[in-house]
Amino acid sequence: MSRSHKYLGVVGVVAGLTLSVNTASAQLPPASPEQEAAGARVASVVFAEPTIIAERGDTVTLAPSFFDADGNRVEGAMHLLFARGNQLRRVGSMLDQSGRFLANRPGTSTVIALVRVAEDGDSYRGIDGIKQVGTIRVTVRDYPASRIAIAEPAYAPYAGTSFKMHGTVWTDHDTEHSSATIEWRSENPSVATVTPSGVLSLNQPGTVTLVASTENGISEPLQLQVVANPVRTLDISPTMAAARAGDVVMFDVNALDGRGRAIDDVALSYSVFGLDSMGGQLFEDGSFVAENPGAYRVVVNMGDLASSAIVEVALRPNPWEINLVDHGAVAHVATSDLWVFEGNDGRDYAYTGTHAKGGGERLFVWDVTDPANLVMVDSVVVNARVVNDVKVSDDASWAIITREGASDRKNGIVVLDLADPAHPTIIAEFTDSLTSGIHNVWINGDVVYAVNDGTSAMHILDLSDPANPRHVRRWELRPGDTNKSLHDVWADGQYAYLSYWDDGLVILDVGAGTHGGTPADPQFVSSIAYGMGNTHAAWRAGKYVFLGDEIGTPDGMRGYVHVIDVEDIDNPTEVAKYEVPEAGAHNIWVEDGLLYIAYYQGGLRIVDITGELRGDLYRQGRELAFYRTSAGEGEAITPHQPMAWGPQPYKGNIFVSDMNSGLWVIKFAQPQVLTP
Amino acid sequence: MTFGRRLLMILGGASLLASPSVAQDNGPTARYWVYVANESSDLVSRVRFGPDGLTEEKTIPVGARPADLDGAHGIAVAANGKFWYVSIAHGAPYGSIWKMESGTDVFVDSVTVGLFPATMSLTPDASSLFVVNFNLHGNIMPSWVSSVFTPFMNETAQIETCIMPHGSRITRDGMTHYSTCMMSDQLVEISTTGHRVTRRFRLTDGHEALMDLAETANRAMGAGRCKPTWVVLDPEDEHLYVPCNGRKEVLEIDRSTMTVRRRFATGAGPYNADVSADGRYLVVTLKGAQAVAVFDLETGKETRIETSQPVTHGVVISPDSRYAFVSNEAVGATRGTVDVFDLASKTRVASVAVQYQPGGIGFWKMEQ
Repeated sequence: MSRSHKYLGVVGVVAGLTLSVNTASAQLPPASPEQEAAGARVASVVFAEPTIIAERGDTVTLAPSFFDADGNRVEGAMHLLFARGNQLRRVGSMLDQSGRFLANRPGTSTVIALVRVAEDGDSYRGIDGIKQVGTIRVTVRDYPASRIAIAEPAYAPYAGTSFKMHGTVWTDHDTEHSSATIEWRSENPSVATVTPSGVLSLNQPGTVTLVASTENGISEPLQLQVVANPVRTLDISPTMAAARAGDVVMFDVNALDGRGRAIDDVALSYSVFGLDSMGGQLFEDGSFVAENPGAYRVVVNMGDLASSAIVEVALRPNPWEINLVDHGAVAHVATSDLWVFEGNDGRDYAYTGTHAKGGGERLFVWDVTDPANLVMVDSVVVNARVVNDVKVSDDASWAIITREGASDRKNGIVVLDLADPAHPTIIAEFTDSLTSGIHNVWINGDVVYAVNDGTSAMHILDLSDPANPRHVRRWELRPGDTNKSLHDVWADGQYAYLSYWDDGLVILDVGAGTHGGTPADPQFVSSIAYGMGNTHAAWRAGKYVFLGDEIGTPDGMRGYVHVIDVEDIDNPTEVAKYEVPEAGAHNIWVEDGLLYIAYYQGGLRIVDITGELRGDLYRQGRELAFYRTSAGEGEAITPHQPMAWGPQPYKGNIFVSDMNSGLWVIKFAQPQVLTP
Repeated sequence: MTFGRRLLMILGGASLLASPSVAQDNGPTARYWVYVANESSDLVSRVRFGPDGLTEEKTIPVGARPADLDGAHGIAVAANGKFWYVSIAHGAPYGSIWKMESGTDVFVDSVTVGLFPATMSLTPDASSLFVVNFNLHGNIMPSWVSSVFTPFMNETAQIETCIMPHGSRITRDGMTHYSTCMMSDQLVEISTTGHRVTRRFRLTDGHEALMDLAETANRAMGAGRCKPTWVVLDPEDEHLYVPCNGRKEVLEIDRSTMTVRRRFATGAGPYNADVSADGRYLVVTLKGAQAVAVFDLETGKETRIETSQPVTHGVVISPDSRYAFVSNEAVGATRGTVDVFDLASKTRVASVAVQYQPGGIGFWKMEQ
């Protein structure tokens, strides 16, 4: 293997243009009969070295040699070397067929060696005239480490305490190193010891130098002055005497010095023991939640001082019984979103959209005044193949439906006049800047936020005159960057919560005034993303945002509801989740301490979200009820399969739209009072 | 619930229109199969035509998200017939290409490419697929053609061309790829092995000429715009045919000199096109006229034939040069159709309803 830096100039060009990196020839190059014969003899390939490690930005030469089944070198075969991986995310790529491999980014790549043979001689993955003769793994390491930045310790360096040290390795290109780890050591173990991963134990007062080391001979010292520990007494007691599974138990922890003053900057260690049960969890802020009933001992300690508290955990109340009120079967077309409201004629209505299966060109109008006798009274047809979303204005005088799949490819939104809510009429079709599909909208007074499928921007519309919508502006994450996907928006009068797929939750000020935003001119506040991405829908209730994923897999839909604490709106934090195994979350509604989730194949789920939330709400037994929204032959476009789309509690009933079977109304048998 | 059940019965009756139609006299003796992508169903239809008529014999689900339209748009079938490929135009945000095994129609592999991948073509050895990333609904900006090495379904190159690339054809020697750009009014030539643009040709009326290779971002404005939507080659790779969707004509361009040789006036919205293997016919779909235009390439004479549904989209001609298979999107919840046109008699001989918004259509095989 030879290494060269002379191609670094090429690296820059390739990265900048994202164009024309030649790897294997696109059209297989023609081979002569002699080359094909030689290729047919090839049984294996040997590269210059058995494993190849390259540095990011380098070009290395793989230098393949080919051998027949007897180990004799074969000359004259035409070979193709191919680095697997997609263009933008590829670890490395072949610059040419002499074997020069450009190391693009840290990771591991497989290079596959093919040889040309006669077209009727062999084939590989459906392509005649080539065969695979071997592979080699190429590991690309990041740029060399150049420095370590040690984070400021989170606690005061009191003797007898222990906490974790943190640091970041930076490369000589001033980027965070992708793989380098830090190893810690103490130069004065009598004062403090530290594990290689950075768990620091302060033994006695004195001066100690901690050294953080990483690859490439890089190290960074940190001098600590360990001081005498002022804490003399430690005491812990739970803030609630009895708890149920899923209740968040906080503790009063008092670390006092000899004069009775609280010491707040001391590192404390917590632990939990199940005395007759399992499933107790402690969180970073010292809170405790149990998934199962039983007695738990929670211990806080610091050096030789320790204190413990017993928490008795009971089961949550039994699930609530729910009953079917009526089912409005839609068996010829898939159902999408719903909106239930009181019309200006005093009657109650549900509007449901339609999806592609069966031809989603309609809005259905249901009179639901008697929820035990749903009556479909009308429908509105638009030029679309998906009416994904339905929203009604606050005063129920107008509504919006979204369009996708319009035959003229001008989608946008349709505005309905609800003067006669049983028979809504189209008063406007608005496509300005919205010709691509509009997946979702949210109405915020006279302002409408529309999710543009094409631009992944949130478009802001003025509907003060519903018959004449006006495009005001648009807001988008990272303008100019196409690699983003906006899926949904939900807003209250203060903030808008944008479900930005792999960019997670994005929060905008739309009137809170904290960041200068107004309904028509939102301003960025904060965001939170997580590795699994696919952020699909959001709903804020109290200090939490409930954030659903939508993940398609070969085994059906997956994904769960993330619970995000936004009490500090600038620093949203994930604190809990609700996950139904083997099903996928879809739309969400929160009302009166209950989280309603249309959970696709999991049907409707209803979860108690009162009080503080931590951990896994499903495992804690916070689910109060579920209902399988499935119907039989003739009453569903796909019988016997729930595919719940959207929930909405309304006047004591729960309305649910289901893709496969239409509109459902269910009701708690005996409404109960929730105890936070 | 009363009205809903009545409506169900009415709509159920409508599905009777989807029953197979029967070929007329002097019908086919061979059997022909095409694949058709239904963009608003996320289903690909396998359609058979033969002595027993025209039938949608199978629908194949594609796409991964039931609550979103994944947008199956383009179809390309390998010359050896072993695999077919469908562009899944929508994504989050980038679309993808799915590789499917012909016949069994099972999923093999996929690759993520660019924004709204649309038309595709394969090199004759089927080792490489080129797809235009149409970016139909995104911001007005240059997009690229992706090159995909099909055995591994790896995107090997992104070749920036111009704004809204559409149409894709590769020469029979596999060395050159052509596409057009609707917004840039260009015909773009790419070296399939060099992965670079080799020629650009401006299509605006009165300004047809070769262009600077660097003009990726030009946006044609004003009158005379071609708004090209497709490009196809004759069997000898001598001429390029480009439907100008914006001005109701098809250009015949000499490939060697890159000059316009002939102009064929069409009806509204010429969109896709194909040339028969014998070089005799050019068939153009007229998206805005619910028709196809069949041109005799020797005389230039047009025969206009009405299609069974509006929004006529794709066309592919059987290798025996006898039949043109045409997809019609239709409107809303009316299912689209595939029509078969006999190129000898210039008549529509069969029609069958498929799914919603059929567009891309690719020829799989014929059997005697």
